[in-house]
Amino acid sequence: MNSNPELVLLRNQREDRPATLEEYRASGGYEALALAVREKAPRQICEMVKDSALRGRGGAAFPAGLKWLGVKEDAPHPRYVVCNTDEMEPGTFKDRILVDADPHQAIEGCILAGYAIQAQRGIIFIRPSYEQGAQLLERELEVARQAGFLGQNILGSGFSFDLTVHRSAGRYICGEATAQVNAIMGNRPHPMKGVHMAAQGLWGLPTLVNNVETLACVPHIVRNGPEWFRRLARTPTGGGTKLYAVSGKVNRPGVYELPIGTPLREIIEEHAGGMLSGGEFKACLPGGASTRYLPRQFYDLEMDYDTLKAVGHRLGTGAIIVYDNHTCFVGATLNLQEFFARESCGYCTPCREGLPYIRDLLWRLENGEGKEEYLPMLRQMAGHMAKSYCAFAPGAAEPVISLLTYFADEVREHISQKGCPFKGVDKPRPHLWYPPEE
Amino acid sequence: MPKLIIDHREIEVPPGTKVIAAAERLGIMIPRFCYHPGLGSFGACRMCAVKFLEGPVKGVEMSCMTEAQDGMVFSTTDPEAVEFRRYVIEWLMLNHPHDCPVCDEGGHCLLQEETISGGHGLRRYEGKKRTFHDQDLGVFIQHEMNRCIHCWRCRNFYQGFAGYRDYGAMQIGNRTYFGKYQEGPLESPFSGNLVDLCPTGVLTDKVARFKGRRWDFERGPSLCLHCSLGCNITSGARYREVLRQEGRFHEKVNGYFICDRGRFGFRYESHPQRPRRAKVDGREVSLPEAVQAAAARLGRISREAGPDAVACWGSSRSSLETQAELRRLSRGQGWRAPLFFNDASQDRKVRNAVSRLDVRLAVSLREIEEADFILAVGADPVNEAPMLALALRQAQRRGAQVAVLDPRPVFLPLEFQHLPVPPGSINRCLCILLKGALSSRAAQGLLEAGAAHFYDALKCSYDQDPGLQDRLLALGRSLQPSQRAVIVCGTEIVRDSTPDLAADFVLLLNTAGIRTGLFYLLPGSNAFGAALLSGTAEDAPPLHPLIEAMERGEVKALILVENDPFWHFPDKDRLKRALDRLELVVALDYLPSPVMARAQVVLPTTTLFEGQGSAFVNQEGRLQWAPRLHHGGAPLAQVGGGSHPPRVFLDYVPGSEPRPGGEILRDLGAALTPDPGAPAVDWWTWLAQENPGFSNASALPAPPGGLRLLPEAGKPPVLSLEEVNRNADRVPEGHLELFLVDRTFGTEELASYSPHIQKAEQAPRLLLSAQDAAQLGLAPGEQVTLRLPGGPLTIEIEAAVNMASGVMFLPRHRQLAWQKLGGWPMLIAYNAIEKG
Repeated sequence: MNSNPELVLLRNQREDRPATLEEYRASGGYEALALAVREKAPRQICEMVKDSALRGRGGAAFPAGLKWLGVKEDAPHPRYVVCNTDEMEPGTFKDRILVDADPHQAIEGCILAGYAIQAQRGIIFIRPSYEQGAQLLERELEVARQAGFLGQNILGSGFSFDLTVHRSAGRYICGEATAQVNAIMGNRPHPMKGVHMAAQGLWGLPTLVNNVETLACVPHIVRNGPEWFRRLARTPTGGGTKLYAVSGKVNRPGVYELPIGTPLREIIEEHAGGMLSGGEFKACLPGGASTRYLPRQFYDLEMDYDTLKAVGHRLGTGAIIVYDNHTCFVGATLNLQEFFARESCGYCTPCREGLPYIRDLLWRLENGEGKEEYLPMLRQMAGHMAKSYCAFAPGAAEPVISLLTYFADEVREHISQKGCPFKGVDKPRPHLWYPPEE
Repeated sequence: MPKLIIDHREIEVPPGTKVIAAAERLGIMIPRFCYHPGLGSFGACRMCAVKFLEGPVKGVEMSCMTEAQDGMVFSTTDPEAVEFRRYVIEWLMLNHPHDCPVCDEGGHCLLQEETISGGHGLRRYEGKKRTFHDQDLGVFIQHEMNRCIHCWRCRNFYQGFAGYRDYGAMQIGNRTYFGKYQEGPLESPFSGNLVDLCPTGVLTDKVARFKGRRWDFERGPSLCLHCSLGCNITSGARYREVLRQEGRFHEKVNGYFICDRGRFGFRYESHPQRPRRAKVDGREVSLPEAVQAAAARLGRISREAGPDAVACWGSSRSSLETQAELRRLSRGQGWRAPLFFNDASQDRKVRNAVSRLDVRLAVSLREIEEADFILAVGADPVNEAPMLALALRQAQRRGAQVAVLDPRPVFLPLEFQHLPVPPGSINRCLCILLKGALSSRAAQGLLEAGAAHFYDALKCSYDQDPGLQDRLLALGRSLQPSQRAVIVCGTEIVRDSTPDLAADFVLLLNTAGIRTGLFYLLPGSNAFGAALLSGTAEDAPPLHPLIEAMERGEVKALILVENDPFWHFPDKDRLKRALDRLELVVALDYLPSPVMARAQVVLPTTTLFEGQGSAFVNQEGRLQWAPRLHHGGAPLAQVGGGSHPPRVFLDYVPGSEPRPGGEILRDLGAALTPDPGAPAVDWWTWLAQENPGFSNASALPAPPGGLRLLPEAGKPPVLSLEEVNRNADRVPEGHLELFLVDRTFGTEELASYSPHIQKAEQAPRLLLSAQDAAQLGLAPGEQVTLRLPGGPLTIEIEAAVNMASGVMFLPRHRQLAWQKLGGWPMLIAYNAIEKG
């Protein structure tokens, strides 16, 4: 068992198997639920979450407490909690680790959310490639039910709440909260605009959709208090720890639970084992594929929502994809656009048609067919993605926008050299990327 | 009311108006693809972007998704919005094939228009175009998926508005495909609207394929005659035949849409066998000669055998002018009063229904969409009046409760409560429902004395099925909080008293403070007009006595006006015998019906597309006017010898002899009475004397929205308590009660002459409840032979779970020789139903 006392979410992580109910309880598990249903009013739980400065870990970073308080006390029943485990953002794998390490933590988070908004039903919406996680959750839900934490009359409190595992049909857009609600209802998973989910979500009834990491924080907030949770952060406005999923050109890729606001340099060099030999940090995607490249000059930045926002970036899911100076960013961006062009739900024009267009231009640049006029076209089209229906296309445009902001020279080199300058050359081309600020 | 400024012009719009609609009021058509006023806002195409400069919204936003608010200032021509729209059209054109020359949409293609207006001229995209496989979607709709720009209108209509699920979106990204999971005919009888809605050539009119460009057609407003709703239609003719029809907006009747029967049922107009020459004793003569011959023979019979020897039989599909002229002719000559309906029961029900509608009670089709509680009594909307089903669906989508009290296995594309009770029990069920609806008001003593007495005396026991009784009471109670309820009442399979009972109940509910409207379904596009011209129920000669009078030889001459009794009379042999006894049959029609071949004098009439324009009164009493679409004559395709352009040159229009039925009848009258003196009163005054219902109208054409021929206040309740409380009549043991019913395709007379409607028909089947089928030892799909008075009828059976037992239904289907019944409803003994 991991004995690092600073760990909160991954404190029960073991190498060999998921933590059991007993192990979870030994670490204080389900104490928060007992406390909540016996001593706290539902509204108090919402207030605690609000005071804890917990923000949505799925990427949008919306204050969780405000979302919960959005469910009016006199709203109709039944109400629903949806635990979003449809982790499909490229580079993001924290939720899988979280669920596999300590399933009951996620389950308790869901139940507490259910209690806080007085819901009757909860749905864990899980990515189909996490079938193992789905089966684990189904098994542990039954364990929790047997133990009296779930189902009718939880811990004798009179509060009843049950959870089901729903496997997604497996498309990226299903991770978007409103699309997810459509998917659960058996509709085509289009995002919905102007829908206030706290009032009219699943079947027109109050629905709370939260990322599983967000919900997993809640038992700790309830047990230790919002003040304690806020103090975990390394930034004044942050709260809690964050699961940073580091991948790419580092020595030890993996999920690292660190106080939110840990500087990027520290994450990469101290925890992820530094850059792979022979490489130098060129840039990273700080929070999955739909954030902007964070280049070298931000290497010492604290990785929190507000700190990144202040410099025009987003923390997203906290999935850090690290690129070194051997990486062609036209190629990397093309790779990302292949994903987005494929996963667009097809509802609105900019996303459905604009992303394949951007992909086509990047492909031409990468393969030596680039033209100078592609640059303003890319810039304009990526800018116009902000006017699409949901946040998908604006997210998809982020790497393109930052490519043109930070690596325009590298793109031009593709045009002047009629091909990718990195291809066939296995050595770094430091003049091609933004020089580090000394 | 929010006041906003659009392109420097101020406008005030009702709250809730979308910005795109507000701009339209100023004549500014913001480019759009997914937005359609009939469907609403979806925000999918992003074509309607405008720039908001001041007010609560800032920056480039979609005008279809933004509600107009006070203080908004926005520009449709701002460079940022224009540039974005230019990109949107460029994106949409990435994959669109340049096949406009062979695309039927060319010339009225929204994509063409917006491409030009969006300023996209040069193709910059160097990639390949995406391609799809097309599907065969049946006889009405042509599918060409490569042209798709993914506006989602088709799916939003088909699944959202119309509620059918077999067509929709599959796949994601730019591979999103609109079609069916498995290729095949579209199930929805509203599929033709996809043609009107598709902004480009993905879904086009298969029936009119390659027949002409929009500008080639003589296009004009017209009316649908394929049921009593009177939907508005735009028809298009070319080379002397109607080739395609589209829905035409009417804010009170059909909205934007029409059904497939109405859209594709027009080919009777260009039927190759359509009577176009007048005939006397089988010899072709000129129309005036034939009129003279008819007048001479009718005059002689009338003189020799008395005016009672001449009978007139019109129809509910004739225009008001034709019906009125028939009435005037028979009155002027002292002949028997004309009949317009097919049997005495129908005659009674329609006339009762029409006499009960007034300004306060009548609701229009679109008002049904606003209702919060709808009870349909003895109505099967999809089969009888398809557009009613769409109106019910819109009401239900807005939160209305819909219930259907009907013995048939009614299907509706919406969630509704079906209470399958036999026609003989419908009245009692209505009583129970009313009891439930008024229960709390009665308990609180809120009913006035008369109503309270009636309420107390109302019987509400239903021994056959106590469970149903509870459901009805519960349904009635859910009517209590209703603000705008509607009772829809059919006039086909219900008992004679049901239309009156429905009206009485609507009156009572209104008295009790539950605002309730009344909506009848009638048999025929001008059944309302026919009912007004039939006089009061008391002075109408019932139909069967006419046949009897023919059989007895009292009637010697019959004038049939746009009426084919072989289509609707339930006993073909008896009809033949009766017609054979006549000295003279004068038949006026535009259909090549069997009775035209038997008539001594044939007088060809025009359809509503060709005459001088004609008026029809729909089932809510709305007088509507269909102007002339084209000048008539045989279609060029039929006289051109197969070549194009035709090489036969004539100095007249072949086949243009038919004239409007009313005109022919007027000429006939003039020929019978050469000098009647100056008419005492004009036509409308005369009509108003015939029936005060006409006093609202004074001229034709009727105003564009139509004119309601309804009195300010109608009759008080007419049924006695005794009548209301009469016990449900039961089908005797060992018998089933047989009814004739309609199908969407195959039973409506005019549309059945259209070849493509014939292809969409389902084979006729005898419907009976699974319970009765089991009792008779019959399996679904099995063949049975019914021993009917007129001979045996072999037909496949269909056993339904969701229908009343003790009854069975036979479609009056074109493909079925059902005219062997003595009359209907009729009782069929078990032993008259044989296997095989």
